[in-house]
Amino acid sequence: MNELSNRSRDIGEFIPQPDDDMIVCRCEEVTKGEIRRAVHDGLWTIAEIRRYLRCGMGLCQGQTCAKLVKSIVARELHVSPAILEPATSRSPMRPVEMHVFADETEDTDL
Amino acid sequence: MKIERFDLIIVGAGPSGLSAAIEAAKHGMRVVVFDENAKPGGQLFKQIHKFFGSKEHKAKIRGFHIGEQLLAEADSVGVKVELNATVVGLYQDREVVVRMGDEVHHFKGDAIIIATGAAENMVLFDGWNLPGVMGAGAAQTLMNLYGVKPGEKILMLGSGNVGLVVSFQLLQAGCDVVALVDAAPKIGGYGVHAAKVARTGVPFYLSHTIKKAEGTDHVTGVTIAEVDSHFQFIPGTDKHFDVDTICVAVGLSPMSQLLKMAGCKMEDNPKRGGQVPIASSAMIEGRMSGVVAAEYLGFMTAGEKAEKLDQLNQSLDALRQGMFAPKNRGRKITETEEGIPVSESLLHKGYVADDEIGRYPGVTHRAGVHPVIECTQNIPCNPCQDACKKHCIRIGKEITSLPAVEPDSTCIDCGMCVASCPGQAIFLINEDDGAGHAEITLPYEFLPLPKVGDRGVALGRSGSPVCEAEVARVRSSKAFDGTNLLTIRVPAEYAMTARFFRTNKQRKEAAE
Amino acid sequence: MAGRIAQHPILGMQNENKKIVTFRYNGKEMHGYEGEPIAAALKANGVMVHRYTMKQHKPRGIFCAIGRCTDCVMVVDGEPNVRTCMTPLAEGMDVRTQYGVSDKPFSEQ
Repeated sequence: MNELSNRSRDIGEFIPQPDDDMIVCRCEEVTKGEIRRAVHDGLWTIAEIRRYLRCGMGLCQGQTCAKLVKSIVARELHVSPAILEPATSRSPMRPVEMHVFADETEDTDL
Repeated sequence: MKIERFDLIIVGAGPSGLSAAIEAAKHGMRVVVFDENAKPGGQLFKQIHKFFGSKEHKAKIRGFHIGEQLLAEADSVGVKVELNATVVGLYQDREVVVRMGDEVHHFKGDAIIIATGAAENMVLFDGWNLPGVMGAGAAQTLMNLYGVKPGEKILMLGSGNVGLVVSFQLLQAGCDVVALVDAAPKIGGYGVHAAKVARTGVPFYLSHTIKKAEGTDHVTGVTIAEVDSHFQFIPGTDKHFDVDTICVAVGLSPMSQLLKMAGCKMEDNPKRGGQVPIASSAMIEGRMSGVVAAEYLGFMTAGEKAEKLDQLNQSLDALRQGMFAPKNRGRKITETEEGIPVSESLLHKGYVADDEIGRYPGVTHRAGVHPVIECTQNIPCNPCQDACKKHCIRIGKEITSLPAVEPDSTCIDCGMCVASCPGQAIFLINEDDGAGHAEITLPYEFLPLPKVGDRGVALGRSGSPVCEAEVARVRSSKAFDGTNLLTIRVPAEYAMTARFFRTNKQRKEAAE
Repeated sequence: MAGRIAQHPILGMQNENKKIVTFRYNGKEMHGYEGEPIAAALKANGVMVHRYTMKQHKPRGIFCAIGRCTDCVMVVDGEPNVRTCMTPLAEGMDVRTQYGVSDKPFSEQ
């Protein structure tokens, strides 16, 4: 049990902030306001936020924004960022064209 | 589908990955290192400054030379480095999927070491997405690897060692650093790194951060403002600078996604990493990983492992001592290990104030040429002690002790101490030549190199002009490894305040 | 070439003995060194904007320079999303500003 388990916990109202239109996820162009709003809409984990808003799912796979998103979500939830589980890491870690990804070599010669 | 097997697969051919590979290969393991870049060595080849530490940490050697040594060693023990090889996935049963060219290859390793390094942290401010805002590492890559200026007029955000070192390197590349800014109330990195930037005239703005990067298609300016203790902007403190580039150096985070993908249990530990010299400790930790893998797969005994790790631990420990040790993070330090009050000016403005400098053991007065060592913080570094063949400089048993000038020693003005100090904190001074002048020899790593007879001004520790000066001597030598020794002649009363030089021609050009 | 560090106090002449190649940036002829990242050649030629984003049509340029952030992607030889900071420059390359994932400005898409 931690602060994240009880989803009926009161985290307060969504209060608009002047920098809500600031881009946080550079690839998918997700704003701080969208992320904050999502938390108040009941999406409390990084995985949920990611599926809902696509932040961290663009070309760079969250290299830059993962930490920023985590701190924004943690602040809305009044918890330490350390207790938020980071997003699942998935292959491919770098942008790879589908024709390459599907091209399994027969011969590896190192 | 063919899967090739190795004893050990290492992801990342940076300082730690290569070190791990060397250690493992030495014990007879079949090792391959994958790196997505076209060249091995990771960030080492961008580090053009001399490293801190002691001889065994390769102190006073420039990073890119350490990189060359490491590559040669890897080659000599038969480490195979696959370049342009991007690891795109790491799966259960130690399967590694690598993109090479337009194909995907599969490998299996009995052991796998992830040495993927770090990504730069970022902070949010209005306009942070604009072209012209970049990581300090990006700037370093452009100028030191590709010989391209990141910009002409640059503002640096972040006063940790990365921000300080990259600011100095920007100056070396011929860029104009208009300000060094940090939201923290005091400078995060080594004082000597700050001091060598400050004395060139770069202003420091502590307790300030970026409010807005200006420009429509790319950066044309920046506004910073002062922040209070809660990091909130204080109204009416805005300051504007015309810049084309903003560099951000607000820390690094490990790139551990591959470990997570492989199912490793992860924890968020903000105490990991930090202010220790990163590449130096990475090389030691890399060797440790190689040793652990070698023992795990039976290439060495548990006893051999323990002995080797013990050695490496001692070496690593030495780097983690002093004021910037992990255990001191967040602690306010008021005195040095010697019981001398720390310089408040250094922490807040980037330079030791003229009325503070006299209290440190490296700063002494005597007739004739003698070293003046403006090293005021306990950091793990001792090349100056070995550099002086006349034993004028003593650090003692603790590598973090402040260097002191031996009272009965004879300085022969060879300049080796000046050139060997990675912090560029040593000056050779003749306080009075008998004709009312002082001669100050300072480290100089900029172009164009002034010539004997050039006239200009001496700048103080703060970078402000203090008096007129003339170049008396210029020394360059292979033994100085790129650091030139510039001797300037100033009126004797400025012997202890003049610390940098600018020719009249440079000043005229800067004014235009 | 403008933007280049002709001589560096520590690294010396960084670009000696490198082969100069010609490439096109949005149809305009430019020069760079063979094998250097496309992004370095563009920077040396004063190009700041590499692409405009899909949703907000905002400009982006070099941000990490080591292939992590993917903000510097452009359309290279007809292929979009090419990381210009990691892709070596070659003679005759066709480099274009990327709008969303296309080399056509949004008004023409």
